[in-house]
This record gives sequence, structure tokens and C-alpha cells, in this order.
Amino acid sequence: MFYRLSGTYHTSYQADRKLWKIPTDRWLVIALLVLAALAPLYVSPLYLGSYVLPWVIWSAAALSLTLLMGLAGQLHFGFAAVMAIGAYASIHLVRAGVPFELALLLSGLIAAVIGTVFGGAALRVKGLYLVMATLAMQYLVDWVVVNVPAISGGAHATLRTPDVGFLFLPIDSLASRYWLALGWAVALTVFFMNVKRTSFGRALVAIRDKDFAAAVIGVDPFRTKLTAFATSSFMGGVTGAILAFCFYRAVTPEQFGFNVSIQLVAMVLVGGLGSVIGSWLGAGFVLLAPIFLTNLVSGLAAGGWVPVSQNFLSHLPLMIYGAMIIGFLLLEPLGLAKIYDNIRKYFLVWPFRHARS
Amino acid sequence: MTFLRKLALTTALVAGLSASAMAEDVKFGLLQDFTAVYTFVTGQYNQGQQDYLALANAEGILGDGNTVTAIVRDTGNQPQRGIEAYNRAKEEGAILFDFLSTPVSAAILDQASADKNIVITPAHGRGDASDGTVFPYVFPMMPTYWAQAAALIEYMKETGGLEGKKIAIVHIDSPFGREPGPILDALAKQEGFEFQAFPYASPGNEQAAAWSEVRRYRPDYVLIWGAGGGQAVSVRTAIQNGIRPEQIHSVIWLAETDAANVGPQMKGVKRFEATAAGTDHPIIQRIQEKVITPGKGSGDQANVGNSYYNLGVATMAVAVEAARLGLEGGQPLTGDTLKAGFEKISGFDAEGLMPPVTYTAEDHQGGGAGRVSEWDGEKWVPVSDWKAAYPDLIRTVIEESAAKYKEGN
Amino acid sequence: MAYFLELLISGALTGLMYSLVALGFVLIYKSAGVPNLAQGALVMTAGYAVWMVMAWGLNVWIAIPVAAAIMFGFGLIVERLLLRRMVGQPVIMVVMLTLGLEILLRGLVPGILGSTPKPIDLGIDFAPIIIGDVFINRTSLYGGIAALALVGASLLFFRTRLGTKLRAVSDDHVSSWAVGISVERAIGISWGLAGIAAVVAGALWGSSQGADWTLSMLLFPAVAVVILGGVDSVPGVVVGGILVGVLGTVIPGYLDSFAGGSTRDVVTSLIILLTIMVRPFGIFGREDIERI
Repeated sequence: MFYRLSGTYHTSYQADRKLWKIPTDRWLVIALLVLAALAPLYVSPLYLGSYVLPWVIWSAAALSLTLLMGLAGQLHFGFAAVMAIGAYASIHLVRAGVPFELALLLSGLIAAVIGTVFGGAALRVKGLYLVMATLAMQYLVDWVVVNVPAISGGAHATLRTPDVGFLFLPIDSLASRYWLALGWAVALTVFFMNVKRTSFGRALVAIRDKDFAAAVIGVDPFRTKLTAFATSSFMGGVTGAILAFCFYRAVTPEQFGFNVSIQLVAMVLVGGLGSVIGSWLGAGFVLLAPIFLTNLVSGLAAGGWVPVSQNFLSHLPLMIYGAMIIGFLLLEPLGLAKIYDNIRKYFLVWPFRHARS
Repeated sequence: MTFLRKLALTTALVAGLSASAMAEDVKFGLLQDFTAVYTFVTGQYNQGQQDYLALANAEGILGDGNTVTAIVRDTGNQPQRGIEAYNRAKEEGAILFDFLSTPVSAAILDQASADKNIVITPAHGRGDASDGTVFPYVFPMMPTYWAQAAALIEYMKETGGLEGKKIAIVHIDSPFGREPGPILDALAKQEGFEFQAFPYASPGNEQAAAWSEVRRYRPDYVLIWGAGGGQAVSVRTAIQNGIRPEQIHSVIWLAETDAANVGPQMKGVKRFEATAAGTDHPIIQRIQEKVITPGKGSGDQANVGNSYYNLGVATMAVAVEAARLGLEGGQPLTGDTLKAGFEKISGFDAEGLMPPVTYTAEDHQGGGAGRVSEWDGEKWVPVSDWKAAYPDLIRTVIEESAAKYKEGN
Repeated sequence: MAYFLELLISGALTGLMYSLVALGFVLIYKSAGVPNLAQGALVMTAGYAVWMVMAWGLNVWIAIPVAAAIMFGFGLIVERLLLRRMVGQPVIMVVMLTLGLEILLRGLVPGILGSTPKPIDLGIDFAPIIIGDVFINRTSLYGGIAALALVGASLLFFRTRLGTKLRAVSDDHVSSWAVGISVERAIGISWGLAGIAAVVAGALWGSSQGADWTLSMLLFPAVAVVILGGVDSVPGVVVGGILVGVLGTVIPGYLDSFAGGSTRDVVTSLIILLTIMVRPFGIFGREDIERI
């Protein structure tokens, strides 16, 4: 009914290779894009600044990570460190007088170079060992940031971002910061959707499925893996810089700690490995669920509905959050993307159930 | 859209007018870390804050039927959750915030100052925020880490002299652990002692390497600078390395829980304190009587009178006093009038719970007076009087650091 | 020289205390092939359990076995409810599941029992053992002995009938099924044993710092221990523990004053990285791990 479709009937390869095979999908995306772009006009600053903006940025981060984990199958438990490199590099570059636009690119490149070193471990091991190796690198980067005052910003280890402009638009108001972040997230989304259709994307998938089989069909695992790490780290580095300039505006080492890496992995997994829509949904879920739970629980407590101690109350969201991660993995290992897909599939031919593909 | 907005504005105005005519409900945002790094203190600290606010309401301290309400949220020490909680509490009308978390405070400081909301950073946060000319809306309120280090050094000077002595500072390896560095540098030159820093890895559950080294350094005094479980490990490992408890001097974060974890050997260890511990104070007595006994307490009764509980009480006593002074003119309370209220506070000592504090437009630390107390096996006993140590030196360090902040750091 | 010796000894003993945490990880990995990143949280839970039982008024030497029984049951339940349903899933799913479990426990246990550090008094004397100019910390000494005893007991256990079954399961699930061994039960028991190991770790670490959530951060050094010793090797836990402890104490003992910061985490990270680059299966691990 909504999709006005009675089945999938493409008559040419061209039609089958389209990004959006069904017109409704395209209209849906365009409508969402317009809604997102106009958000500063109708969303209150409270919701824009503390829900929508971080959601957009973390979605970009989740997209960067899912390129590596979902497409190339390389596990990474130190992605927050990559973002930290981007964030710190961009601030120091801007302070050194580099224009912001260039600083974003350069910080991405710096993150890519260091991130590729992270990837060095992937040439040797995978699975659990790669998890451990990237985890160790996270600790190393954290240590360097905390222990080198020149990087972390002196005694208080707080580095404020200088005022900047992006393409003549000063990045000072909430709306402009939101638009810049949205622009980056949309650019990443478009890139991600298309990379799956390039030879590079197919090479990544081949590596993920079986690396020596990929080598047999002529995909060089060495080069492909390193490129995957480099690309993903570039995206992560720029996202880190965007996070610093558009959201935090004062950077401390704690913002990029180990638990943030875990959060990112949770976003990717809860959303669904290697899925675009999953990255957006997963980022929203992992980022906002604890916040909503905290507010909900506090609201209930204020109403006298939960007669328990403050200590239990404040730990409740943590419990529910952990339980939800476990629940997702047990009940829907393919994540929110799969749930969305099920719903979409149902409505594709609704109300004609018998025509379901 | 405009219509709706106008409608909302008018309603707000009407509500605001009627409110100022009648009673005002002052809102404080206590958006703290209950689940991560600061768990060792937040529970008791926040309990003290809530209980004092309950007392303030029961006694009508703000006058004219005005009340004060706490908005309590967990931030988990995560800046993005802190930002959300701040924005939401701001929307709900909070004008004073206490995050009790260095990273969250750091992430919100600029925003809160732009919004003209008060942020109090008692016993945590950046020391240079004491400079009210650079940080007009931030009140460290109590002795900064710099003032604490100076007070402990001065105490050492009074009890055993400093000339030619050796001080070992054993600290957690984090920006917080390095706070006393510049003060010690300056005082070492002035007083003629030498010192060496021994860092241990966070969170400090294992410090063997650092203390082996400390023992060989043969210090006359030891300064421990950590928080949470690491403090108990510090004291234990120090004693195991032949350092006498009397030689150990701690930052403010050493309390009854740590003493329970260390055991009877802790007797003789000294710490800095900004507020008195124990239940033997008029305010705590009245909290017992009017809040705890009627069953309106916000937590475990056994905590009442603990060091961190009393610290929480003192912070809110000062904040409510500021609100009372800010409301005196009859105008509604905003960030600006609350700031003015703070700066009217002079010689306020919460009925003896804390040293008399006076805030001015320049000094948001309130003088920086504190004292040293000693664990006698059961409770903390003060061994010095309330006073500010090396106030001129502290002031110089604050101003230098604040000037750097102003330049953009 | 005495300084070096002291660092060496205290490092080795501290390392053995890490082994206590690592042992649980290895027991589970060996039988089930599951990397249990919630082992740190299990240690935290166990520490709280010991404190809780002691708060009922029981003597510490009764409290520890009672807590061990509780944690054994807890391990069985976790395996039954969560991990059994993850059989055949990719490793990342299992890793994330155990991390989810860690988050859940970090909320649940301090939420119910209180988040301020809880004292566990094992009655260990404070005075160090002094040999020449070398001081030996009694808590670490007893911890080291406990670790050796526990590892020894595990090795003996693997020689019993039940232990032989567990070894069979760790070799090959399907073949074990074929010869009539209940793989599920064997894996469940290994989780229970990991729970018991966690109690010893929780009690000893908790006695020095108090039981609170920071106990779960022992996971990181424990990971270094298992990577170095080999993820599926029980004796590897001892050797890995001693090496991680010694390197993590001796190197910072000489470097920290120059680096101006604690270098222990750097050493631990480098141990993990170098092991993975040079000999991913660790010193005693079986070589059949996924290589590229």
C-alpha cells in the first residue's frame, strides 16, 4: 500500500543496480533529509543540542567503524583512540593557523596514518587477538594523550576549540554546528552506500568472508586490509574533529576513553554489522537509551513510583542498558537494521500477505 | 509557529509574574556521577546535599514561602550525558549546577557561563576558576587542590619544620594527581625542602613499584594524592613499606570508608578537610531532628555525619545562603542575582561546620581556608585551626592560570 | 641490587595475583572457546559476595567457601541463560555479549549492595616480611601462594574423571558429543570454576582496596596475562602472570621518575601487542588459533 509494490520486477540490470530500487524508498530518504536539514527551525535547542546533534555525529562515527567491522570484518576495540587523534590533531592545527577546512582533512589524514599502524596487527591475526591488540593500542594512545601536556593542553588537560568558520559560514551557533555535522554524516552515508558497489567495497567483503579465498581470486589481503584501516580511520579522525568542534568544544582525554570504544562497538552491533540504516539506528539507541532511561527512572521516582534508594535508582539505567545489549544479541543478532528490514518487508506488499517474497 | 511561541511566552510570563508575586521554587541541578569514577564520594555527598535542602525547606530558610528543589541525575562521568542533563535541567529552570566530575564540568563550563548559570565546583574542577573576573559564574567555593596542597605543607612546617626535609608525593597518574605539582615547586624553593613525585597507574589497585621507590627515597613526609579505592591501597602499601601513619598526609579524598578498608593501622594518618566531620554540629543535629527522624532522609541513616556527607551539607548551606541573599531585593532569582547573592556572603560558616567564607567578585574560592585532621581509630580529629595557607602564593598561581585560560587555553 | 630484587619479588607476587583473575578467563576459554571479557566483573561480583556473606556475621574462612558456592551457581546460571544460546555465533557477538554482561553486573551489584568501597578484612598482618633490605608484602605473598595453589588444583582437577571430560570438550565439541560427554554440562562447570577463581581473586584484591566496581578493571592486566601465557593454557597463567607482574613493576620502577608518569599501562599494552605480533598463541597456547 505505502510502497505500491506487488513484488520485485526489474527488467534491466540497470534497474536492479539502483541505489533505491523502489521509488518510495527514495522519497522516504529525501523527506528525511529535508526534515533533518530543517531541524534547527522546528526542534527546540534542548533537543537539537543534546539529542539530535550528538546522534548525527555518533552515527558518522558508527558508519566509520562499521566500514571496518561490518564490510571488512576487522574487529576494532580502539576506535575512540582514532577519533581522539583526529580531535586533538584538528585543534592543534587550527591553533597553529591552518584553516579549519584544511585542518579537518589533515586531521583525518593523521588519524589515517596512525590508524593504519593499528591495522598492522590485522595483517597477522584476527578475531579475539585483533580485539586485544586494538584494545592495547587504545591504552597506548590514551597514555600518550594524558602524559604529554603539549597534546592534552596543560595542567587541566582541557583544550578548548578556537572559533572557526567553514566555507565562510562561522561555526558558532548551534544551527551552524548542526549543519556542519549533518553535512559530514550525510557525506559519509552517501560514501558508504556507494562503496559497497565499487571494486574496493567488494574486495572488503571478500576479505571479510574468507581472506585466503579472497587472495585466490586476486584480492591482495595485505593492501585491502590496510586500505580498510586507513579509510575507516580517516573517516573516524574527521568525525573526531567534528565531535570536538561541533559538540564538545572543550576536549578532555576522558571523552575518548576505552568505554567510548566499547560504546561505538555496541552501536555497530546493536544497529547491525555493515548496515547504513543500522549505524544510524544503533548510534541513536546506544547513545540515547541510557539518557532516556535515566530521565524516565528519575521521573518515576519523583512521582513516587519507585520506592528505592538513590543509589539503586542511578544504577538502574546501567542495568537496563546492559540487559538490552544482551537482549539484542540473544534475540536479534542482526540488530536494529534487521528489525527495520522485517518491518519494511512486511509493508512492501501489505496488505497482500500471500505476495510476500 | 510564531503563534505557539507567543502563547508559550505569554504563559511563561504570566506564570513568572504570579510566581514572583507569590513564592519562588529555586532549582539546583545536582547532575553527578553515581555509577562510574566518583562513586566513592557521590552517594554520601549527594545525600548530604539533598538532606540539607530538605532541612532548608522545612525551616523556610529562603523566607516568604520560597522553596528549593534539587534536580538529581546520573551522568556516569560521561560528558555527552552531562551536556544533555545540563540542557534539560536548564530547561526545567535550574540556575545552579554541581557536577562533581572534572570531565563533565570541563565540558560544560563555557556553555554554562554563556547561559549565565552558576556552576559550583567544590573540592574538584579547575583551581583557576577561583578568579571571579575570568570565571564570573563559576564558584569553586571551597579550597582548591592548590590551597589543599599548601595547607598540608604549612601543617608539616608547623609540626616538624621543612628546612632540608624530604617530601614524597605519591599520586594517581592523571591530571588530578598532578595538580599539586606547581605549588610544591614554588614552596620547595621558598621553604627549602626537596620533593619527588611518584606516580602510580590509575585506578591504583596496585602500587607496589611506587612505594618501593618511596621507601628508598626516605621521605620525612608523604603526601598521597588519589581518590577512591586507590587511597586505601596507598595507605596500606605505605605502612607495609615502613612508613609511619603519622608521616602520611592526604588530599581531601580520604574518609571513613577508606579507614574501614585499611583497618586499625590507619590511626595517625592525616588529611586535609574543608568541612568538619561528625554529627556534633547544630546543622547536622537539626537535620537529624527535622529530616532524618521524620523519615524524609534521602539515604542510609548511617552516613549522616560522615566527611563526604558533611561536605555535601556545607556546599548546599552556602548555596542556599547565596539564594537567600540573592532573593533579598525581592527580584526573581536568576544566575546573575544568585551570583550577586554569592558575592554578598561574608563570614558565613554554616554554624561552625566549615571555616568562615567570604566571596567577592574577584575571589570565588572564599579565602581557601581549611584544616588538617587526624584519624584516631574511630573518627577524624582536627589537629589544626581553620586558616588559609600561603594565600598570596595561591592567588598568584590562580591568576596566572586564569590569564592563560583567557588567552584561549 | 636490593631494590631490583624487591621489585622482582613484589612484581612476581602481584603478577600471580593477576593470574587469579586470568585463571577464570582461561578455564572458560579452554572448555568453551568463549573469551569472557566479563571476568573482571565476575571478580567484582565475587568481592561483593564475600563482603555480603561476612556482613551476615560469618567468619571470613566460612564466608569465602559460601561465596564460592554462590559464585559457582552464578557461573552456571550465566552459562545456561546467556552463553549457551550463543553457540556458533561469530566471536564478536560473544565478546559483545560478555561486555554487555559486564555492564549489567556493574549496574546490578553496586546498585543493590552499595557503591562505596566495601571492606574485606582477611586478617592479614600489615607488617612486611623483611629479608635483608627487601620488604615483602604479606597480602601479595598470600595471594601468590593462593594463585599457585589454585592453578595446581586446576591441573590436578584436569586429571580427574570430570577433568578429563573437560579436556575432551576443549579438544573438540562434536567428537565429545559423539562419545557421550555432555558438552553443555562440561562448559557449565567451567563457568562455575571460573566463578570460584573469581572469589579468591575478589577476596584478595578486595582486602587491599575494598570491594567496589574498580575491581572489574583488573580485566586489562589479566588479558595481558592470558595473551602472554596462552589463552587456553592453565600453566601459562602462572608464567604469564609472573612475567606481566615483573615487567610491569621493574620497568616502571626505573622509568617512572624519568617519564613523569606511570608507565605500567604502557608496559602492559606493549606486552599484549608484542606477543600478538611475535607469537599470537602465547608461550604455552596451542598453535591452532586462526592465523592469516
